[in-house]
Parts: sequence; structure tokens; C-alpha cells
Amino acid sequence: MEIKVKCNCGVENCSEWAILELQGVVESQPSIANQIRGLEIGRLCCSSSSSQVNYTFTVGYHELSGTKVSLKKPLLVLKKNKQEEGSVSNNEVDLEVIGIIRHKILFKNRPKAIISRPQVKDKKASD
Amino acid sequence: MATNKGDINDGGAESFLTLGPDNSVTVRYHPDFGPHSDLILLEVPDDSVLNDLLRGRVTIRGQFDEDAVLCTPSSTYAMKFVGTSNSVFLIPPGKPNLSDPQPNPLVSVLKLAPGNVELVLTAPRLDKLRFLLMQRLYKIDEEDEEDCSSEGLYTWHDLICSIQASDEELREGLKFLSAVEINGFWRIVHPKSVNMILTMVLTNSVLHDWSLDALVEEEVLSVLESDGFNTTIVKHCLETFGTKNENDNSKLWGLDKKRIAVHFAKQVLGSNGGKMRLEIFIEKWMRNVQKGTPFDLNMLEGEVLYETIGAETWIKAFSVADLPLTPDARFSVLFKECAKWAWKDLEPYVRDLRVPGISSEGLLIKYTRRVQPNADAEPIFSAR
Repeated sequence: MEIKVKCNCGVENCSEWAILELQGVVESQPSIANQIRGLEIGRLCCSSSSSQVNYTFTVGYHELSGTKVSLKKPLLVLKKNKQEEGSVSNNEVDLEVIGIIRHKILFKNRPKAIISRPQVKDKKASD
Repeated sequence: MATNKGDINDGGAESFLTLGPDNSVTVRYHPDFGPHSDLILLEVPDDSVLNDLLRGRVTIRGQFDEDAVLCTPSSTYAMKFVGTSNSVFLIPPGKPNLSDPQPNPLVSVLKLAPGNVELVLTAPRLDKLRFLLMQRLYKIDEEDEEDCSSEGLYTWHDLICSIQASDEELREGLKFLSAVEINGFWRIVHPKSVNMILTMVLTNSVLHDWSLDALVEEEVLSVLESDGFNTTIVKHCLETFGTKNENDNSKLWGLDKKRIAVHFAKQVLGSNGGKMRLEIFIEKWMRNVQKGTPFDLNMLEGEVLYETIGAETWIKAFSVADLPLTPDARFSVLFKECAKWAWKDLEPYVRDLRVPGISSEGLLIKYTRRVQPNADAEPIFSAR
């Protein structure tokens, strides 16, 4: 079987996606359950000090600090398409490149608890 | 309600990535947040593969019971999913389209990625190619026979769907097997037929006073065609045993005496395992080979093994071209044939092994045990 990996965007026009990566898990309060679509996770701020650019991500009463990282090996976002019935190809599936990720903002330091913050809908559970 | 994901342009990736000092964005779950298991992250090892992917030159090949491989036009990569325990939030491109004004730009996370697929450069899996093409060897009078089915016959497209190799590696594999395309199917010619055609070419050369260094393609093809031989096969014979001289527009072929000598040596010995006393072999070999062909036993390295039985030396057919291509299977067959090998005997049978990322010394270390009694002695290799 042969599955072609299509790319309609070409070399120049590949849409750039991004990644926010942190260690641990973001949970919502039990009352929210699975209805998290549209829900705010947190606030991402940027600050610079001397040579470095720092990022702060505040989720609930936790504050994480991190940096922007360029990926040594970029990631491509591929989408699996199920073939429609009656299509030309014999395969059930084809793949398409729909985006590229060259940078991510990575939070790998221990979160700091902000005690004075009021409880908000999201809380951050650290590992 | 999901729109076509290729068109998702409301994630805010740009705002996220261009966030500058003293600014902030709000990060939320996209209205469409979910598992989106049809979205896969693929790590690209270098710019060359990236280029091939973005230009649509990449395919995924394999049967359902095999691990899939990713093929660029010239290379083959194993695909390995690597999970992560981190939370990797995927942010689509574009700016969000909002009805109510927000104080900060809004970034929306579409999915939590469980990991990504890594690509590992791998040797093409070509042992299957020989297996498939050996199912029906092409014989000269095949068209006359009853059985006209195409069962056990493979077109280029059939091979692409069955063999886990890039196009370029597949073509090299076919060349290595001396395969030829006949009526759209890739075939290996039966050794008896190969011998018949080569003998016809040599006999006709004597009859028509052709020079073996400069055979005129048209002449050879037309004479043999009038004798009933398929021109595709005759041309393939010229390619197998000769080299083209492309001078003066006329297509001239020079036959390689060494390749012919090796061919007749194999004819004398029979297929793998055939053996005889060395003096008898040499005598028969000399009879078959053209006068004036300088031949010596060194031409047969990688094709024969020698055994001492009592006071006599015997020679035995053992061709590297018939052995498996993967290192573990290759060494297994070699050590089954003979438990201990001196390097000079072993080298012709391992020099063609290629594994990305491992040198030939590395292969020896991995698959053999090396014993060298002292600095002056020759090293001996045996199974691990």
C-alpha cells in the first residue's frame, strides 16, 4: 500500500503553528468537567531582563516561567483524511501537511504558587 | 462544529510567537478543543527531508502487517511514535475572530499532543524484492506456454506498494538483481535463458566476425531477433555483461571479460552448493571461456568458497548476490556455512552490507566474535 503525503502549501506558504509546552497537567475544577471548550487557561506575559527574553504563564494560582525555544528539528502538522467513497485511490486514508512548527514556548521550571490570588476556574496540578 | 482543519486560522499562533516584552496574551481552549486524533506531529530530521515533504515528494509504504516506512525519492525512514509526559498544547495559526472585544490578544489551544512521530534513517527492505521476483523467472519460450496469467508477476506500481524502499533504492535493488522490465512486469531472467542468449551472442560474434569490444547494438539485436530472441532480453544481456560506448552516435557495446568469465564459472559449478575438485573446475572453466580472456581465481571472490578435503582442494559455488541483505540474516547464513572465517575470505561477503549509522567495523563488532592469538596472526571471525 502506498499513501502519498500531500502538501498544498508548498515550501513558502506553510502555515506556522505553535506549541506551548509545560511539565505537568492542567486540570479544571470538577464542576466544569468536560465543558472546557472556550475556557480560559491562563495569561502569558513576556518580559525582558538584560540579554534574555522571559515568559511567564499564570494558570490559576500558579506562575510558571519559561523561554522560547527554536526547534532543532521542526515539526510538521499532518492531517489524516479518510477517503470519500468512490474516490480514485484504493487507499482508505491519505495524509496532508497542513502546518509547520519551528518554535515553542517551554516551561520547565517548578511553578511558583501565588498565594494572594483569588481562586479562578482553572487550577494547575504540578507533577 | 469543525471546519476543514487545513483552514483553521483562528488559533493566534502568530500573536503567541511574536509576543514581545511588556505584552501579554490570554490562552484558552479553542471552541473546537478535542483529541483530534487525525492530527499528527512529525519530527523532520533535516532540511532535505523537509523540502521533499513540502514539495509533496514523500510517500508512506508498507503492508498492513509491517511497520510503515516513510520514503523520500531517495531514502527510507522508519516511523517511531515517541510519547511525552509533558503537556504539549498545539496552537493553530491565524488571528481569532471575536464578537466581544478582549483586552489581550487571544490564543487558542486546539489539542493536547500525546507525542510525535520520529523518523529514523533505515536501510531499504529489499530482501522481499528478490523473493517476489523469484516466483516466476522469465524463460525464453514463455510466451508459447499455456499459462498466460499475471499471477506472481509485478509491475513497478505493484512493487512500490509491496516493497518498503524509496524509488531510487528500489531501482538500485532491481539493477542489483539484474531484473528487466518485460511487457510492464519486472522479471528476473532464468539462468538457463541468460546462458542461452549470452552463448548465442558469443557464437554469432565468431560467425560474423564481430569485435567483442565494439558490438553494434542494432546488428546484434537484428541477428538474434531473426533467430527468435526477444530484443528486450537480448538488450538486457548486453547491459548485464557489457558497457555502452556512446561515441559517434552509433550504439556500441563492449563486453566485460571478467563478467563473462564469472558467468561461465557459475555455469560450470552449478547453483549454490555445487562443488568439484579445483583442477577439474579450472579445466572446464578454461574450455568455456574465450581465448585470450585473462582469467584468474581472484575474479571469483564473493562467488566461490574453497574447501580442503584430504589432500585435495575443492571449489564450491557460494554467491554473495544470493545471500540476505540484512546484517543479522547475512551473518547467520555465513556462520552456518562456515564457523570460522579469516578476514580476507569474509570481506567479499560483507562489503556490500549497508546500515545507516553503523560502519562496517561496527557491524563486525555487533555480529561477530573476533579472535587474534597474537599481533602477527590473522584475525578469525566467528558467530557471537
